[in-house]
Amino acid sequence: MADPDPSTTCPPPSSASISSPPTFCCACGAPTAALSSPPAWSDSSPPPVYRPIRAPAINAPSATASIVLSPVPQPLPVPPAEPPFRFEVPSKRISSPDDIRRFHASAAGRHFLGFIAALSHSVRGRKLSDPVPSPLPGTLSGLLSILQTLARWIDEIPPLPHTARYGNPAYRSWHARLSDEGRGLVLSLLPSDELHPAVDELLPYLLDSFGNAYRIDYGTGHETNFAAFLYCLARLGLIKEEDYPALVLRAFAAYLDLMRRLQTAYCLEPAGSHGVWGLDDYHFLPFIFGSAQLIDHKYMKPKSIHNQDILDNFSNEYMYLACVAFVKKVKKGVFAEHSPMLDDISGVPTWSKVNSGMLKMYKVEVLEKVPIMQHFLFGSLIKWE
Amino acid sequence: MSDLDRQIEQLKRCEPLKESEVKALCLKAMEILVEESNVQRVDAPVTICGDIHGQFYDMKELFKVGGDCPKTNYLFLGDFVDRGFYSVETFLLLLALKVRYPDRITLIRGNHESRQITQVYGFYDECLRKYGSVNVWRYCTDIFDYLSLSALIENKIFSVHGGLSPAITTLDQIRTIDRKQEVPHDGAMCDLLWSDPEDVDGWGLSPRGAGYLFGGNVVTSFNHSNNIDYICRAHQLVMEGYKWMFNNQIVTVWSAPNYCYRCGNVAAILVLDENLDQQFTVFEAAPHESRGVPSKKPAPDYFL
Repeated sequence: MADPDPSTTCPPPSSASISSPPTFCCACGAPTAALSSPPAWSDSSPPPVYRPIRAPAINAPSATASIVLSPVPQPLPVPPAEPPFRFEVPSKRISSPDDIRRFHASAAGRHFLGFIAALSHSVRGRKLSDPVPSPLPGTLSGLLSILQTLARWIDEIPPLPHTARYGNPAYRSWHARLSDEGRGLVLSLLPSDELHPAVDELLPYLLDSFGNAYRIDYGTGHETNFAAFLYCLARLGLIKEEDYPALVLRAFAAYLDLMRRLQTAYCLEPAGSHGVWGLDDYHFLPFIFGSAQLIDHKYMKPKSIHNQDILDNFSNEYMYLACVAFVKKVKKGVFAEHSPMLDDISGVPTWSKVNSGMLKMYKVEVLEKVPIMQHFLFGSLIKWE
Repeated sequence: MSDLDRQIEQLKRCEPLKESEVKALCLKAMEILVEESNVQRVDAPVTICGDIHGQFYDMKELFKVGGDCPKTNYLFLGDFVDRGFYSVETFLLLLALKVRYPDRITLIRGNHESRQITQVYGFYDECLRKYGSVNVWRYCTDIFDYLSLSALIENKIFSVHGGLSPAITTLDQIRTIDRKQEVPHDGAMCDLLWSDPEDVDGWGLSPRGAGYLFGGNVVTSFNHSNNIDYICRAHQLVMEGYKWMFNNQIVTVWSAPNYCYRCGNVAAILVLDENLDQQFTVFEAAPHESRGVPSKKPAPDYFL
């Protein structure tokens, strides 16, 4: 069972004043001492100065109106990268709310979100088993073969018997193998000599897509890195817009299967989970794509997640239902208690509303969160501007 | 019946207080907590409890097997909030009991009793969702600053949420910390709330990113120089509810059964009698039928 571990709760990124001992990033294990400001503090949560309780509590302005009125992220075409290429090893750039604003104002920020929305749009009303072009385009079959290879390694690297920590240290061996062989895997996706140098830029995204070896955890940040990896392939023209349905229904579905196996086999801890108040311990994107799949479905409504028959019979066709079924399988207790967000969202009247809400929520709760996005990577394909 | 007794009864039914009541309760609690030492003296008999993490109905199981406060004298080792659904109700019940029976329940601070951590691990979201504003979160996190950092039972058992610090060799050094602040990112106060015992020689870097790993030799020398029998701490899930390490020099007590609704672990409390004889009481998660069903809320704003 993939179980969260209290022993690996990690603090948000630490402030600049750290000299000894060095502290380490929650997700990647890299020292965070170089951060120039305490990034975890948003505007509404001032720095940790002692405040007597008699001071009036500051009321955060109600965000309801602005959230309701904020636009639903819309599909955007991916701008093709033009030669001459100047590939670079991507690096982290985000460390403050200001950086987040800068990212979302930039072309890279808009197009990345537009890519997610376009993927979502491409699978509206489609089941996982719906026909896709056959044979699959080279990049997609290459992706599937990579994901199969990674899944095979789980069989070859069984979890170790252990007692101390929750996360299974065998995951580190799995990840070490990914680091060793990742370059070859990425090169297998790059058909021409002209694109081979892209491997240095693409590899770090792939390595960050399946969780963190140091902390033995996984979360929406890693999932976002996988999406960024796909976005880079799209920018290189290796994934085209007509490939999107197959990309989601085949490749992303295979990625989700792989992640479930990794989470279960090695007990990956949820990285920075909001406890019961998060959407899910690990994932976000399958709720976006999965709700799109169900838009205008004849009889399945958002409230159908409470019908066990529906979950049993249709989880193999709809990612959203598979996610709910997974939660119900691994968590014991009252659904409304362990998954209040999913429970409350089940009261939304239509899947279309669920889907637009998920897209808005993904932007705010993932792409605008410093603790998550401080690990996002920028290079020549996703440019820091 | 006084307001406070009524509030305690209400909280025992898992009904949260009004915002104004929370504020008043926190003000009263502050007056009590501010007087406590960083190494709060606790008399035996006492029952020691580890992490709760908002698992209200499981804490009711704890009181069922451990006895009600004030009949039983309790020491809670922190991490009342985050992750679970009922952090608000859980913490307020404990705080109300503290105000009502200050000498029969001791609450010390865990690493989750922090503004920064609660914004990542759920308590902040919970307050916002249940009250529609962050005021209750502010009242609660303000009172967190007043919680003591450790307890000393009959001068023999040192209790702390996480563990030891390389900056601390004597209890007197803990007593000199100015604790009324947000949990810092490093230093003695941080380490007490974040560190873990581990099979290392001396001190090691913690994978948590705060605090340290400390080995058996560190514990031996700390216990020796402070003339204590053993350390009792929480902070780490142990599947059997409790775990001794380093030849019974330190014990971990964990009181959140089926942690995060999925870990399948049992929980434990450590019952010390007046002679400090130990008995662990193990308990399981409250059964489905005795857990209340949360009231339905409208979908989050994104979905309106």
